[in-house]
Amino acid sequence: MLLLASRRAVLCLAVAALALPARAADGPAAQLIEKAAAEVIELIKTTTGPQREAGIRQVLLNYFDLPYMGRAALATHWEATGAVQRERFLKAVVSAEARAYSERFGQYGGQTLTVASVSTRPNAASVVDSKLTQSNGQPIAIQWEVRDSGQGLRITDVKIEGVSMVMTRRSDFNSYISSHGGKVEPLIDELEARAAR
Amino acid sequence: MIERFMNRIEGARLPALAVAAVAALLGGCAGRDTGANEPWDPIEGANRFVFSINRAVDIIAIRPIAVLYRDWMPPPAQRGLHNVLENLGEPVTAIAEVVQGTPGRAGTTLARFLVNSTIGIAGLFDVASAIGLPKTKEGFGNTIGYYAGVEPENGGFYIVLPMIGPSNARDGVGMAIDASIDPFSIVTFSISNTAGWIYAGARFGATVVDTRSRTLYALDDLERNSVDYYAALRSAYTQQRAEIIRQKRDRTGPRAELERRDKLALVR
Repeated sequence: MLLLASRRAVLCLAVAALALPARAADGPAAQLIEKAAAEVIELIKTTTGPQREAGIRQVLLNYFDLPYMGRAALATHWEATGAVQRERFLKAVVSAEARAYSERFGQYGGQTLTVASVSTRPNAASVVDSKLTQSNGQPIAIQWEVRDSGQGLRITDVKIEGVSMVMTRRSDFNSYISSHGGKVEPLIDELEARAAR
Repeated sequence: MIERFMNRIEGARLPALAVAAVAALLGGCAGRDTGANEPWDPIEGANRFVFSINRAVDIIAIRPIAVLYRDWMPPPAQRGLHNVLENLGEPVTAIAEVVQGTPGRAGTTLARFLVNSTIGIAGLFDVASAIGLPKTKEGFGNTIGYYAGVEPENGGFYIVLPMIGPSNARDGVGMAIDASIDPFSIVTFSISNTAGWIYAGARFGATVVDTRSRTLYALDDLERNSVDYYAALRSAYTQQRAEIIRQKRDRTGPRAELERRDKLALVR
């Protein structure tokens, strides 16, 4: 029994030794996610309709590196896209995402987001593991990819149960572009038309 | 019944061989093994055709039933049906876990099955989870993915199956193996063909309603927020399956996946 207890203690120490530096080093990334989540929950509780959509748009602009995400979603087509087109594209994507997120948070059911752990990668990006706990049903695993590309830490991807938003968008956009003559223009038109609806 | 069932598990060596063969076969497509590519979809035309039929059937029949079920069936009944279906899957999960080289885990699954089938009244209640026997869900799609020496994004060619939806070579073969080794199916078909088809049909129908009612939110969201729903679903399916298999292979968690994605140079 004693042996067991001491073994467990050693194990705990080992785990703590492994976990502590990682946490201390990546504090800012975890804080970023916690702050963003707190702001969104506050918005959902206090606002509705267009006001909420505007609030969520502001959170997206403040916390996400949207140009980076847009570039990643367009992948190889980004280079072939002119400056004016890029700007239109990013604007349309931001509108689409803001609307999507405010719809997703349609009714607040008392969900809470708990940050579990942070891991770093050689290219200076961090990944924040978190769980969205719902009042009914299974918790949802959400991973946030956070990096600093010049304007402080920003979120560059969200993975829900293993499905990356950027990768899915990229597949989606890519397929749309190749079925429309390999041009980005029709995609931008479509995104703008949807935003206007 | 139990004895017969244990015999089946003994027989699991045969599927293991089959798995090895299939894994070798799928490993043959390792040339496309970057994950940076779109999912491999050589029969996209046919897939899009089946996809559009599935979608029509979904809009006319399956989705409305799933919505009614979600909104009008009392939640405890929904949970009960879900538990029964999960319980029916436990024997296949146990066999797959043996083949994956985790017999201890298979033992827990068997214990779960015994507890839930008896005390849990034919699986209606998940008593086993409450007494510390956690649930796992395995099949031969995962098992092939586990042994195949390729990125889990590479499941062979993508295929949209009639009524079932997104799949690929790996998961399609896995599903066929799961169905062929299912003890309930073997037992009911050994009674009579009619009994077998009634069991298979009832289970499939219930699974469709249960699964569809659980994916309403996610699929509605994906459809509304994509410009090419087919491509978005293909990507999401591939990623989600890869995530499950990667977790199985690599206990270090998301790090390996991220390093892989670094190598892809997402932005050039």
